[in-house]
Amino acid sequence: MSAQPSTATRRPSRFARVPLLVWVFLLVPLVVELFWVFWPAANSFSLALTRWDGIGLAEPVGLQNFRDLAADPIFLTALQNNVIWVLGFGGLSVVGGLALAVTLNKPGPMVSLYRSAIYLPMVVSLAVSGLFWRVMYAPDGPINGTLGLLGLGQLERQWLADPAVALWAVLIAAVWRQVGYIMVLYLAGLKGTDGSLEEAAAVDGANAWQRFWRIVMPQLRGVNMVVFAVTVIDSLRTFDIVWAMTRGGPYNETQLLSTYMFQQAFTTGNLGYASAIAVVIFALAIGFIITYLARQARTED
Amino acid sequence: MSKGTITRRELLAGGMTLGAASLLAACVGTTSGGTGGGGGGTSSGLITLQNSIQDADPKAALEALVKAYPGGDVTMNSVATEQFRAQLTNYLRSGDSPEVLSWYAGSVARSYAEEGLLLDVSSLWEGDGACAGYSDALRSLSSDASGQQIFVPTSYYWWSVFYKKSAFEKWGVEPPTSWDEFHALCENLSGQGIVPLTNGLSSTPWMASGWFDYLDLRINGAQYHRELLAGEHAFNDPEVVAVMEEYKRLIPYFDKNAASYTAQEAATPVAQDKSAMYLVGAFVSGYFPEDQRDDLDFFSVPVINDSVPTAEEAPTDGFFAAARSDNQQGALDLLSYLASAESQQQYIEQSKSSNLPTSPDVDTTSFSPLVQKGIELLNSTEEITQFFNRDSSDALQATADTALTKFLAQPDSMKSILDEWQTAAEGVFAS
Amino acid sequence: MSALAPPAADAPAAVRDRPAPRLRRPRPARSPWLHVAMVPVTLLWLSPIVFVLFVAVRSYDDIAGRGLGALPASFSLDGFATALTQGGVLRSLGNSVLVTVCAVVASLALSSFAAYALSRFDIPFRRTILLTMLAGNLLPPQILLVPVSSITEAIGIGDTLTALVVVQVGFGIGFYTFVLHGFMRSLPDEVFEAARLDGAGPGGIFWRIVLPLSRPSLAALAALATTWIFNDLIWAMTVLRTEAKFPITAALLNLQGGFASAWNVVAAGALIAAVPTAIVFFLFQKQFVSGLLVGANK
Repeated sequence: MSAQPSTATRRPSRFARVPLLVWVFLLVPLVVELFWVFWPAANSFSLALTRWDGIGLAEPVGLQNFRDLAADPIFLTALQNNVIWVLGFGGLSVVGGLALAVTLNKPGPMVSLYRSAIYLPMVVSLAVSGLFWRVMYAPDGPINGTLGLLGLGQLERQWLADPAVALWAVLIAAVWRQVGYIMVLYLAGLKGTDGSLEEAAAVDGANAWQRFWRIVMPQLRGVNMVVFAVTVIDSLRTFDIVWAMTRGGPYNETQLLSTYMFQQAFTTGNLGYASAIAVVIFALAIGFIITYLARQARTED
Repeated sequence: MSKGTITRRELLAGGMTLGAASLLAACVGTTSGGTGGGGGGTSSGLITLQNSIQDADPKAALEALVKAYPGGDVTMNSVATEQFRAQLTNYLRSGDSPEVLSWYAGSVARSYAEEGLLLDVSSLWEGDGACAGYSDALRSLSSDASGQQIFVPTSYYWWSVFYKKSAFEKWGVEPPTSWDEFHALCENLSGQGIVPLTNGLSSTPWMASGWFDYLDLRINGAQYHRELLAGEHAFNDPEVVAVMEEYKRLIPYFDKNAASYTAQEAATPVAQDKSAMYLVGAFVSGYFPEDQRDDLDFFSVPVINDSVPTAEEAPTDGFFAAARSDNQQGALDLLSYLASAESQQQYIEQSKSSNLPTSPDVDTTSFSPLVQKGIELLNSTEEITQFFNRDSSDALQATADTALTKFLAQPDSMKSILDEWQTAAEGVFAS
Repeated sequence: MSALAPPAADAPAAVRDRPAPRLRRPRPARSPWLHVAMVPVTLLWLSPIVFVLFVAVRSYDDIAGRGLGALPASFSLDGFATALTQGGVLRSLGNSVLVTVCAVVASLALSSFAAYALSRFDIPFRRTILLTMLAGNLLPPQILLVPVSSITEAIGIGDTLTALVVVQVGFGIGFYTFVLHGFMRSLPDEVFEAARLDGAGPGGIFWRIVLPLSRPSLAALAALATTWIFNDLIWAMTVLRTEAKFPITAALLNLQGGFASAWNVVAAGALIAAVPTAIVFFLFQKQFVSGLLVGANK
C-alpha cells in the first residue's frame, strides 16, 4: 500500500477522499451481512443467558449456563476433541493441501486428472461421504480387509465404535475431503507467484527446499492468512461429517463442540445451554483469528 | 499515531457495533406470543400436510391417500425425520403453519400442547367422530394434561424377537417359551457357531434401549417402568440394577460388532443366517430382501417374573394439527379422513409395512400372517407401553443411549455407569 | 502474491538485487517420479467414490442380503431409475442449480465490491470492518436456525427459494470478502496510479483493472462457493418447507428411508448430484491453476 497520510492531522478529509460509489460498495454487503448474520447471532448469544426449551418462554439465568458448562464432562470431552481436531484436521489438511498444490502446479492432462481426483471428494455431499467412510471402516469392510491381507490382522478393530480410535478415524475422513479445498486455495496463490525469482535462485544454486521456503512461501503470505482463517473456522465448525459417521458417539467420545451444541439444542431441547456452547465456539475462533490476523495486518501495513 | 492506539480504537468501535446489535437482538423475541395470532376460520382452501415419511412404499401409500381426498387440495411435504424434528417447533410457531403434521404420541406432543401450539381435536373423539371407537389406551395416549385430545393415532407396530423360520429349522431349534429356555437356546446356537443375538448401536444407539425396556417390563413390570421414565425412581435403584444384571448375562450372546452396525445393517447377518435373533420393531421386515420377508416370524420376550403383568411395546404413530394454521376446519376434516377405517386399510395394504391399524373397524383378515400374529400378541397382553423416548423424552433417551452403550462396552463398570446415568437423568428432569 | 513482492530478506543476494522480470519461461520435461507417486495416491483417494459407484449399480436385495461392503453380485440400474423418477431428483437438481448460480454470482459480486473498497481505499476502521465481516463466519450455523427462520418469515419470504439465496449470500459474504481482500491488497499500485492518471474513476478501475486481475482468486472462490452452496443442507431445511422447492441435498436425504434405506438409490442420487459441481470444478480449473511450471520443481 502506498503511504497514507497520518490520521492525526487529516482525519476529517478521510471520508471525503473515499468516493461515494466506494462507500456504497462497502455498505451494501456489510448491511446484508449484519442483517442476516449478526442479528440472528446476537439473538443466539442473548439466549446463552437464558434457559429455553424452544417452545415456551425463555427464562433468564445469568451466567449459570457457563458455570454448568465448566462442570460438564461431555463439554470438556468435546473441547478436548476440538483441540485435537484443530491441530490434527487443521494441520494435516494444510500440510497436505500445500504439498499437493506445489506438486501439482504444472500443466499436463495427467496432472489435471490428479488435481481433479484430489478435489473430487469435495463435490460429493457430506452425508454421502459419511456413508462411504462408514462402510470403509465397517468391521468386515475394506480397511480391516486390507490390514488382514497385509498380515496386520492384529490392527483390525471396530474403527467407529472403539473410543480410542474413533475420533482419528473420522478425522482421516474429514482430512480426505478437506485437502482438495486447501489445495485449490494454494493453487490460486501459487498462480500469482513469480516463477522467474525461483529460477534465478535455482541458477544461484539454491536447492528445491530452500527455493520453496525462501522464495515461494513469502509470496504466499496472503494465502497463508486465508488458509489459516479457513482452517480455524472449519475446524471449529465441523459438524456434518462427524454427525453422519458417529453422531458424537460411541457414548459421547467423538463429540465436538458443534455436535454437542446441536444435540443440546435439538435433541435435549436446551437452547440456552446450546447457545452458551456457541458463545464458547465463537470466542475460541475470535481468539485465534484476531490475534493472528491483527499481528499479520500490523506487520504488513 | 502509534498502531497500538488505532487498534484499540478499532476494537472499541467493533465493540459498540456488537453492543448495538445485541440491543436489536432483544427485538427478535423469544416469547411464544410473537408472530401471527391463531389462524381461525376457513380463509383458504389450501391444506398442507407436513410429514416425516421417507420410506418409499409408505410414502407412496400416503400420497395415494392424499390424492384421493375428496375434501380439497392437499399439499404433502415429506422431510427427513431428523430435520423434521429439528424444524417441528418452527413449523408450529410460524404464523402460517402446515395444517396437519405427522409425528407420534408422547412427551413431544404433550409439551407442544401445553404451549397451546396444537389444535384441540376432541371433536373427533366423541359422538360419531372418526376416533370415537378407538380403545381407551389410545385415547389416554392422545390426550394432553387437561384431558383434551390433541393427537390422532393412525397406525402402530409392535416389538418382538424376530427370527427366520427356515434358519431355526436348519439349526434344529424352536422358539423358547421361558426365560431359561431362551438362555439354553442362546447357548445351543453359540455352540453351533451362530451368533444368537444381533443389534445395531452405531448411529442408532437407541436400539440398546429395546432390551432395557423389555427386561425392565419383564422384571419390574410396566407400572415401575413408566414411573422410572417419569423420574419417580432412580436409575441406580436395586430394581434397575437387577435389570442390568440380567442384561449383563446377555452380553456374551450379542454380535461383537453390534456397536458398528446401524439398526438396518444389523439385519444383514440374520438374512445371511449368521445371526439368529433380533429384538426390534416390526419395521424390520423392510430391512430384509424381498424373498425372505415371508420367512420372518417372532416370539415375545419370555416371561422372567411371573408376578408382574405381561407387557409389550407398541409405538404409535399418527398426526396432530397446528393451532396457528389458516384452515383449522380443513385440518380437522383431513384428520378425520386419515383416521377413518377405509383410509387405514388402504394405507396398510399399500405401504407393505408391518403396521397395525388403530381403528377397530378395519378388516384385518387380509393382512399377512405376521401382522395377524402381531395383532393377536397385542390383544392378549395386559399392558402396552410405547418406547423409551416416546414414554419419557428425547432428552432422557440421550442419557440412556450414553449409559447403555457404555455399559455394553464396559459391563464391569455397571455401578459407576448407573450413577452417572442417574446424575444425567436428574439434570434432564430438573430442566 | 504479486509479481513484484520482494523476496525474503535471507534469499541469495543475486536474487535480491536482480530486477524482477515479468516474463515466465516454460520448463522442460517432467520427471516420471511425479506419476509414480501420484497414481497410487489418486487411486486410493478415489476408492471411496468408486465404492459409491459399486453400491449404486447393485440391487436392493443384493445389499440387504450381502451387506454394503460386499463386492457387487448384481448389476441393476434400478437405483438410478428410482432416484430420477421417485426421488424428484431432477426437479431438486434444478432448484439447486438455480439457487447456486444466483447465490454465487450475487455473493461474489457483493464481496468483490466490499473487498475492493476495503483493500484499496482509506476507509476508517477498515481492519475492524474486515475482521467483523469475517467474524460472521465464525459461528456454526446450527445455532442460528431458529432466529433465521423467524426472520425469513417475518419479512415475508419464508419458504421461498429467494430466501435461500439471500441467506446463502448473507452467510458467504464475510468469508469471500476476506479472501478477495487478501488477493486484492497485493495487486501492484503502479497499475492503479496509471489508471488514475488516465482519469478513470473508482468504478472504471474496478471493472477494467481489479476484476480481470482478480480472475484467479474469483475463479477459485467461484468453484469453492459453488461446492458449498450446492452441497448445503442446513439452510435449505431451515428456510424451506415445501418439498417441491427442496434442493438436491434435501431430496437425497429423503431418499434415505426413515427405517430402511435403499442404499443403491441413495448412492445413485448422490452420484447424480455430484455431477454439476464436478463439471464446474473442471471448467474453472484452468482459471486458477498456473499454466506453466511455477513452484518447487524436481
